[in-house]
Amino acid sequence: MIFVLLCGHLICVTFRVRVASVLQLTRKYLSLEDLIMNKQTKVWLVLSIALSLLALGSACGGAKAPDTNTPTSETAAAAPYSGPTGTITGVISYNGTPPAPKKIDTTADPVCGQKNPNLSTDDTIVKDGKLANVFVYVKEGSVEGGKKVGDYTWATPTSEVQLDQNGCHYAPHVLGLMVNQKLRVTNSDQTQHNIHPTPKLNQEWNQTQSAGAPPIEKAFARPEVLIPVKCNQHPWMKAYIGVMKTPFFSVSGGDGAFEIKGVPAGTYTVVAWREGGAPEKTMQVTVPANGSAKADFAFGEGATSSVKPSLQMMPAIEFPMLGKH
Amino acid sequence: MAIGNRQLAMSKGLNRFAILVACATFFLIIAGALVTSNDAGLATPDWPLSNGQFFPKMVGNLFWEHGHRMVATTVGMLTIVLTIFILVKEKRQWVRRLGIFALLAVIAQGLLGGLTVKLMLPLAVSTAHATLAQLFFCTTVSLAVFTSRSWIEAWPLPEEKEGFPLRYLCAAALVTIFLQLIIGATLRHSATWDKPLPVELVLTHIGGAFAVTLALGGAAISVLRRHKNEAFLTRPAMLALMLLVVQLFLGLAAYLTRQASPHDPQPLNPMIGITVAHVACGALVFATTIVLTLRIFKVSQPVLQDYRIRQDLHVNPENPVIL
Repeated sequence: MIFVLLCGHLICVTFRVRVASVLQLTRKYLSLEDLIMNKQTKVWLVLSIALSLLALGSACGGAKAPDTNTPTSETAAAAPYSGPTGTITGVISYNGTPPAPKKIDTTADPVCGQKNPNLSTDDTIVKDGKLANVFVYVKEGSVEGGKKVGDYTWATPTSEVQLDQNGCHYAPHVLGLMVNQKLRVTNSDQTQHNIHPTPKLNQEWNQTQSAGAPPIEKAFARPEVLIPVKCNQHPWMKAYIGVMKTPFFSVSGGDGAFEIKGVPAGTYTVVAWREGGAPEKTMQVTVPANGSAKADFAFGEGATSSVKPSLQMMPAIEFPMLGKH
Repeated sequence: MAIGNRQLAMSKGLNRFAILVACATFFLIIAGALVTSNDAGLATPDWPLSNGQFFPKMVGNLFWEHGHRMVATTVGMLTIVLTIFILVKEKRQWVRRLGIFALLAVIAQGLLGGLTVKLMLPLAVSTAHATLAQLFFCTTVSLAVFTSRSWIEAWPLPEEKEGFPLRYLCAAALVTIFLQLIIGATLRHSATWDKPLPVELVLTHIGGAFAVTLALGGAAISVLRRHKNEAFLTRPAMLALMLLVVQLFLGLAAYLTRQASPHDPQPLNPMIGITVAHVACGALVFATTIVLTLRIFKVSQPVLQDYRIRQDLHVNPENPVIL
């Protein structure tokens, strides 16, 4: 960051100097013809334009927004957390009548229709009023003692997270992994797929995977919530990957329940995200040492976008919801 | 006279081939529009091969992307043949140059197509690809016009004495349509079917539609009023007006279906069909306006200049009936 700022400063200084040179030269050579004909002028002019463009490009690019997700040197030097931990549990509800799943037309690839004849959309899976595939994560917060959760280092699991293409459908539909944790993409179909994550902060890639091809292993270098994944062969295929700096995330299951284990005792902002552009829900949660905090969220009709203030907290006791949805 | 007859016979073959290339280019534009509407641009990450093969299994969206590549290859081959045909048969230097330009344009277009795949559809490159497609189409249509019998036989009309010169009106309409095509291409490539369209671009495109209606409507109606007995001019003018009306309705329908598409599980046929028809009709409006503009320029040019063109053809300028 300092290097970028220094470079920008140098370019700006140089740019101003060159502009002054050009103005001086313009005054010296009053006629345009002289300005064009003089060799020395040409050299200065070309240099000035080049530097101006460079400076302009730098200016247009703007100062890069500080990436709070990238570990700083201070963070990198921080020790792993070793204090008491608790758990965040909750249930995701869906208010009102969920939209009916839409049947997908698989005629473009007969293999899909044969394997999965009833393929339908899975963006809103609701069972008994409970919503699946909601990504819940600890966004920010302080561990007991006042230190930020992001100031600790969290080891990247060596285990891989699997994303399978089965019946022309991504399974799981929503998943989370940590920065640099391996994502293993497999193809269980007798047709070829095209895995194409479209991140904003990470490197975009697009890779074909034929039937019977070996798994594709990838990792994401930066935290990002969430990366849409599509298949360019089968446009209905969609998945979402949450890439996190900490291991404090979960995805609601078919019963709408989720659980985030090993959360350091402290107070956090917990976020629930679901696809489709619905506003994410946030909640302040205090996690007790060796206890459990409850964070229930609701989507659908009349659901509010955030729940504040903090819930009451007691070790291993469920907390009554404020602002029940 | 013998020279004139042989010239005419040779031009006929060339003209037919130029029309064939123009029609193939129109079909290519439709194939390209199908790729965009189906969101199939990255159905294969490699180029020029598709998944490492010259002829892969055409399933899913690969059908559209690889199909587009095959049509493009065919158009590329046809353009090579057309350029050779022109260089061998055509005497007019400027037509020969235009033939070479067409070849260079189709090569550049192929490379842009490859670039947009390799760079994963950046807006600027995809829009440039769509814009150059229209420019190339303009070139092939122009070649078909320049090699046509009606073009060679056309004779300058009496100089216009009233009103704004039609040449300028038609040229303004042509430029407006081209700008509108660029805006349309940018709009189409700004968001895939599952994302909402950017409002600013939609409004700009709607504004462009008004501008095109005014420019083309004004030019075509002026042509119809001033040269009502000249079928050479009234036919493209009438056709342009009709296509414009169809295009406006298609635009409205395309907007409605496209607005609904993000809620669909996949690009559905009504949206695909109407947006592709809108692109195709836009290309036809452009082509018809090109024909109209070129013809207006042809018949409005001073007699002496027309003689010079005839001399390029080694034809007796004293006899206006021969060609």
